[in-house]
Amino acid sequence: MIKAEHIIKNFGDTRVLKDVSLEVNNGEVVVIIGPSGSGKSTFLRCINLLEQPTEGSVRIDDEEVTAMRSKQVVRVREKVGMVFQHFYLFPHKTVLENLTYAPVKVKGLSKEQAEERARKLLDQVGLTDKADQYPSRLSGGQKQRVAIARALAMEPEYMLFDEPTSALDPEMVKEVLDVIQSLAETGMTMIIVTHEMGFARMVADKVVFMDDGQILESTSPEKFFSAPKTDRAKEFLEKIL
Amino acid sequence: MNGLINGFKAIAPSIPYIMNGIWVTLAIALVASIIGLVLGTLLSLCKIGRIKILNSFARGYTSVFRGTPLIMQLALAYFAIPQLLGINNVDPFTAAVLTFGLNSGAYMSEIIRSGINAVDKGQFEAASALGVRYWSMMKDIILPQAIKNILPAMMNEFISLTKESAIVSTISVTDLMRRSQIVSAQYYLYFPPMFVAFILYYIVVMVLTFLGGRLERRLSRSD
Repeated sequence: MIKAEHIIKNFGDTRVLKDVSLEVNNGEVVVIIGPSGSGKSTFLRCINLLEQPTEGSVRIDDEEVTAMRSKQVVRVREKVGMVFQHFYLFPHKTVLENLTYAPVKVKGLSKEQAEERARKLLDQVGLTDKADQYPSRLSGGQKQRVAIARALAMEPEYMLFDEPTSALDPEMVKEVLDVIQSLAETGMTMIIVTHEMGFARMVADKVVFMDDGQILESTSPEKFFSAPKTDRAKEFLEKIL
Repeated sequence: MNGLINGFKAIAPSIPYIMNGIWVTLAIALVASIIGLVLGTLLSLCKIGRIKILNSFARGYTSVFRGTPLIMQLALAYFAIPQLLGINNVDPFTAAVLTFGLNSGAYMSEIIRSGINAVDKGQFEAASALGVRYWSMMKDIILPQAIKNILPAMMNEFISLTKESAIVSTISVTDLMRRSQIVSAQYYLYFPPMFVAFILYYIVVMVLTFLGGRLERRLSRSD
C-alpha cells in the first residue's frame, strides 16, 4: 500500500503541492488527471522521492520513506518502478543491457538470470527482435515499451507512470497503452499520470483530479466522467473531451 | 642551399637520437594524461557533489593549477620544493610526469564536469528510480555518456599535453625538444636538428588527431 499524507512541496517561493493526500491499495490502479502545471508529476515524483517533499509523509508498505536515510531510500525504490514521459533509456547500452543492468547491479542477479528475464519481458512488450539494438534505433513507442520492460525487470510491487504517452506520436500511443493495460490486468498496483481520458476511464479503479497543487476529486471513473462534482473538473473535461 | 643540405648530412648520425625522443615525449604525455584523467574524474565528482569541503577543495585546486604557468609549476616541483624538503637527486622524468599529471587533472576536471552537466538530468532520475547507487550510477551510466560527449575535448587535452611537454627540456628531461638542443649544441648547427624535431612533433600530433577521430566514430556507434 502507498499512503501519502499532507504532502507539501515548494520550489523556491512557489508552492506546487498544497497538502495532497492519497491512498493506493494493493492491486489498485489510480489515474491522476488535471491541467498542466497542476502538480501531478511532482506528486508522483514525491512518492519515490525523486523530489523530497517539503512537508508531509509517504509510506510504502508501512515504511515511512520520507523519514529514511538515502541508503534506505535506494532499497525502497527497488519496489517502485517508474516510467517517464521521455523514456530515459540508457543510450549507450543495448535494449537488453538496459533491462539487465539494474537487476544485475542492484538485485545481484547473475547475467544469465537477468537476460532470461529480460527476454521474457521483451517478449511481453512485443520487442523480442530489438534486444541487441541501441535505443536510438527505436521509435518512440518502442522506446517507451522498453522503458516499461526495464522497470518491470526489477520486479517492482508498484509502478508509477509519468505521462507515458505525452511525448509520443499519435499512432504510437495505443501500443504503449495496450502494454500498460495488460499490466493492469495482472493486478499490478499503479499510479498513472495521463492526459488520455479514454484510457483513464478504461483502466482506472480510481480517478484523481488535481488542479493548482490540490486534489479536487477522488472518485470512480464512471462518476468522474459522467458527473464531476467540482466546476473546475467540469470545465477541464469540457475543454478536452 | 648546399650549406643546408650539408648541415643535415652532418647531423645525420644524430637523427635517430633525436627521433627516439618521441618516446620520452609520448611517455610523459601518456602517463600524465592517465594521472590527469583519474584525478580529473575525482575532482569533477567533488565539484558536482554536495559535500562542501570537497567542493571548495576541487575548485581551489583547479584555480591554482590554471592560474599559474606550467613552466613555473615545473620549476617549483623540480628545483624549489625538493630543496625546501632537502631531497636530493630528484628524477627529472618523475617530476615532469607528476607536474603534468597534476596540472592536467585541473583542466580535465573542468572538461569532465561540463560533460557530466551535459548528460540529460533524466538519466540520473531513471537510474535512481531503478535503485542504482550513486557510485554505480556515475561509473556505469553517467560517466560513459559524459566521456562520449567530451572525447574531442579530452583528445585536445592529450594533444596539447604532448606539445606542451616540450618545456620539460628546461629541467633536463631528454625529450624530443631537449635532444634537438643537445644535437644543436654539439654541432653548433641549429636549423637541421630543430627542423627534424619540429617535423616530428607535427607528425605525432597529426597521428594522434587521426586516432582521436577514429575513436570518436567508434564510440558514436550507439547514435
